[in-house]
Amino acid sequence: MAELRGSSGDAPQNLLTRWFGTPNLHTLDVYESKAGGYTALRKALFDMAPADITNEVKTSGLRGRGGAGFATGVKWSFINRDAPGPKYVVVNADESEPGTAKDRYIMENSPHMLVEGILIAAYAVGANQAWVYMRGEYDEPRRMLVEAIDEARAKGYIGPRPMGKDYPLDIQLYRGHGAYICGEETALLESLEGKRAQPRSRPPFPAVKGAWGRPTLLNNVETLATVPTILNMGGAGYAKVGTAKNPGTRLLTVSGNVRKPGVYEVEIGKTFRHVIMELAGGPPEGRKVKVFWPGGSSAPVLPESMLDVTTDAEALAAAKSMGGSGGVIVMDDSHCVVEAAHRLLQFYAHESCGKCTPCRVGQDWAVRTYERILANEGSQIDLDILRSVSDGLQNGRSLCGLGDSGGWVIDSTLRHFRDEYEDHALRHECNVGGPSGAARHLPMNGEEIAHA
Amino acid sequence: MSALSAHVLDEIRELPAKYPQPRSAVMPALDLAQEELGYLTPEAMSEVATALELDPGYVEGVATFYSLFHLTPVGKHHFYVCTNLSCAICGSAEIVRRFQETTGVKAPDEVTPDGLFSYEEVECLGACEYAPMMRLDQRFHYDLTPEKIDELIAERRAGRTASPSPAAPPSPAATPPRKRGGEAPPSPAATPPRERGGEAPPRKRRAAAPPSPAATPPPKRGGTTRKKKADG
Repeated sequence: MAELRGSSGDAPQNLLTRWFGTPNLHTLDVYESKAGGYTALRKALFDMAPADITNEVKTSGLRGRGGAGFATGVKWSFINRDAPGPKYVVVNADESEPGTAKDRYIMENSPHMLVEGILIAAYAVGANQAWVYMRGEYDEPRRMLVEAIDEARAKGYIGPRPMGKDYPLDIQLYRGHGAYICGEETALLESLEGKRAQPRSRPPFPAVKGAWGRPTLLNNVETLATVPTILNMGGAGYAKVGTAKNPGTRLLTVSGNVRKPGVYEVEIGKTFRHVIMELAGGPPEGRKVKVFWPGGSSAPVLPESMLDVTTDAEALAAAKSMGGSGGVIVMDDSHCVVEAAHRLLQFYAHESCGKCTPCRVGQDWAVRTYERILANEGSQIDLDILRSVSDGLQNGRSLCGLGDSGGWVIDSTLRHFRDEYEDHALRHECNVGGPSGAARHLPMNGEEIAHA
Repeated sequence: MSALSAHVLDEIRELPAKYPQPRSAVMPALDLAQEELGYLTPEAMSEVATALELDPGYVEGVATFYSLFHLTPVGKHHFYVCTNLSCAICGSAEIVRRFQETTGVKAPDEVTPDGLFSYEEVECLGACEYAPMMRLDQRFHYDLTPEKIDELIAERRAGRTASPSPAAPPSPAATPPRKRGGEAPPSPAATPPRERGGEAPPRKRRAAAPPSPAATPPPKRGGTTRKKKADG
């Protein structure tokens, strides 16, 4: 495995990553003997009623770490444990929000932590079968998780009588095949059922009618990997970490123009200045942070002047952004915001599943507008178009958040970097990286754009 | 004569029983087909459909939705180069450019004449702390530099020269490499897709085409001086 870039070791905030970097932590033996693994599962199976487990998670205040930030314990309580017939736990391991690598970090370093969390969740909500939907490009995490599941099965932690408890538990893997949309929970379910991954309308919610029409609990990898820690610390103990409304720690992936990119476990409520300037070492020598995406590419951007915003959901909402997937992308002052926005809109246009018209048409429209602007063919009209396309993409006009996400990129970059847009669209120049004309950097000429 | 060998079709027919509903087998089945042929031909998709008792149009609809299914031939070593934002601002455009220069491949639907190399620009692969990065031969490659790209290409060219039957494609070079003549057993999951002969015929890419050359992200400019230190 590649060298570890991110949190590990004995620091007060390292609730999940404390033992990362320990040789062979990925094996059941080391996970159990060194990291106290599977004590939470034993406790759950033998000392707690399923409802107590759910209550403990509620008390912890844990909020989903996938992006939406919904209260995990509340989500668990939506599943009617006594409903007859099969119920499922589906694990969202499709991590594909640009700038996010934390689930990979967990699965490569401590796959048993995820296995343990899945088993506890399944027992709590009354499911016997869990499915891990993992993105197809994650070859190494898949190998590690398969190995961990096999080990747990051989040891009798997965099977008809896990640890001797008369409650069958099983985990299976399902491999995704390259579609960002599968990170959206209902699109993921469609994909798991062997269909094109297009989001469903809700209701019914997955808790009522999820995978194969059955009640389904859907959680993100980091969310479930946190569950053993919560049972070990107690919900109330976990809730003391972080902020009152947004307790705990998060694994923030810091990437882009920083000296020490990595996956850092951070107590929620610390500032982005701490995360970017201290943990990740700040921008390269002689450069300044210009802008950062606080929670994956879909989280509205924040300019350097807002580095003191804290990492909790409430502070981010007040700053008109969100914690999202915890992917912190940092861009320094040598890069052009208009180009970055163009690249992201290409991404959203490419990944739009095509089901909802505003998203299917709007993302593409925005891309073409950016192309005109970057080819120095822009005018005020194009800025107006971006404004109106951005509005059309947002506010729930599409079934899932992919539509909104493109709109947020346009909206937030326009809001904070109006000057750069006007330089490009009205004056046909880019002043990034130095005085006008000194740092022209467009990678493409008009001809290439014409047949884009 | 079928596009897929009998044992692969047998394997495919056993898949539906593994899922609560048989339809879930469609992607694992397409995986097996692609593993054997290197890419999904219309014949292969229709054989998968028959084996799973699904409509061929349905199977093709699924195959065309997901970017890891190839509908045109790809090289034995297909470079999935991430060009999303984190990699773009760390220099992924240089990586793509060097791949193109060294292999002579100019566009995502081209394959080198020896069948060894092709590439595509892909969206975020979830290893952003190692940007720029890519996926190649079923593993991730980190902290890429143009020099590393040259090394990876050279290693693979050398590997091919060392192989017992270096240049002979399994079928006449003019034929699209759809069949491996049955004698080759399917490679175990961990090995890269098998080698195919013949130059890729120019084909229209499916609708959801990856970003065109004009979509190439900004090249790294002056200031990005972050060195890829081992202690990073």
